[in-house]
Amino acid sequence: MIDAGLAYSRRVLELFRALPTAGDLAAGEGTVIVGEAIALDRSAWVRFEARADAGRIVDTAFRAFGCPHTLAAAALASLALRGQTLTEATAINAGRLAHDLDAPPEKMGRLLVVEDALRALIRGAPRVQ
Amino acid sequence: MTRMDPAAPVYLDHAATAPLDARVAAAMAACLADTSLQSNPASAHSGGRAAAARVEAARAQVARLVNAPPETIAFTSGATESVNLAVLGAARAAPEGRRHVVTSRIEHRAGLDACRQLEREGFEVTWLAPTRDGRIEADTVAAALRPDTALVSLMHGNNETGVVTDVGAIAAACNARGTALHTDAAQSAAWIPIDVEATGVALLSFCAHKLGGPKGIGALYVRRRPRPLLQPLQFGGGHERGLRSGTLATHQAVGFGVACELAAADLTAEAARVTALRERLWRRLQAAAPLWRNGAAEPALPGILNVGFAGIEGESLLLEIDGRLAASSGAACSSATGEPSYVLRALGRSDPAIQASLRLSLGRGTTSDDVDRAADVLVLGVSRLRSALPAGALERVA
Repeated sequence: MIDAGLAYSRRVLELFRALPTAGDLAAGEGTVIVGEAIALDRSAWVRFEARADAGRIVDTAFRAFGCPHTLAAAALASLALRGQTLTEATAINAGRLAHDLDAPPEKMGRLLVVEDALRALIRGAPRVQ
Repeated sequence: MTRMDPAAPVYLDHAATAPLDARVAAAMAACLADTSLQSNPASAHSGGRAAAARVEAARAQVARLVNAPPETIAFTSGATESVNLAVLGAARAAPEGRRHVVTSRIEHRAGLDACRQLEREGFEVTWLAPTRDGRIEADTVAAALRPDTALVSLMHGNNETGVVTDVGAIAAACNARGTALHTDAAQSAAWIPIDVEATGVALLSFCAHKLGGPKGIGALYVRRRPRPLLQPLQFGGGHERGLRSGTLATHQAVGFGVACELAAADLTAEAARVTALRERLWRRLQAAAPLWRNGAAEPALPGILNVGFAGIEGESLLLEIDGRLAASSGAACSSATGEPSYVLRALGRSDPAIQASLRLSLGRGTTSDDVDRAADVLVLGVSRLRSALPAGALERVA
């Protein structure tokens, strides 16, 4: 049995229960970019979708398979991406997600999968002149 | 136990521990409150004799559950100690030249770790693999027996899959070769009529808290004839006919005895009722397909349903249902380690499939309403988690 009160921070519980931005992007203007990372040996699979317009991310969505920390981190990263330039988005990484979620060290491997999906998203984005 | 609060989580974790039966609690409380029963049951004075009489009455109740003579029952602190005493005690006491032990890869950690200890002591252990549906076949066991086999130790009913082993057939093969068979009946004693005399097992472990009794007390049956050799694990006073030194807790024994008597009274009827509830749960969970069952449906313990949900990560599912349904991801004993279940791995399941699996264990207090509520919680939770899955994950995580 998991003792939710002991094993998860309040932020993880909030994000896990609401899963904000989970699903697919709504229709809109701009370029859609996708980043995905799969590590089934770590029980983690994360896919981000973002809509970029004039070099800024205007909308995001994610899909994920994994533990509560993985899902919460994917949701948190998806929210954090909104309004960022691609350069600013590179500041979102596993360490920051772990800090914001108060995640235990043993979850870092899974949070790195979230970071890998973010990096793939940013790499795939068209450069804006 | 009946769930009094309708808002309380549905309890489907009876294989980890069953709720204490109110009648057991009452008997134990009465024993604790009775000032004439506070003496050491080993004392020779009248107070000691009064306590000893209660202990012996409890021993008789415990013995009746498995059709054993009372003097063949030794009280222990629980099934883990019973299993350790049986496995380590029998192997260490075996005659010169008998340094081989047979067990399986799907034993409870108590048996598994005791056999690993024997390996460290120089014994050779044969680790039998189960079939893909979790069976340990009698023929497989018989084929593993050798002239130097000191002991065979196998679970009767598996704590994760519920699959039941044919210990009667295995005991016959062992007895024909003069090898002692120990079986761990911690999960099965509450559900399957056990007749140690007819079955022919040499040693049988079980405990109180899986059948509505208190935690902290168990029993080891030790056959009278031929009596298996056993080396004690602890010394000091020679209690329990020299097998297990230590002052007995009278109220614990009383609670164990009442729990056994209650279990024996409705064992067959409850087994049939709970088996029907388990199958009802399985049918209702089909709404969460794709899913699979870990372990054979029969012969199996009535209360255990081990089920895997495609595309689901077990920890997320447990948190999803937390507060509404109490269940276990793998076995409670192994989930503490965070490692995927070695039992399901031995059945050939992949790590993701193991992570996607949940053990639901029903008990005497489980009702059809509990089952329906549990199924609703799971179907809803699985559906929500799947709604966030990346394309292809449903197929790959299975």
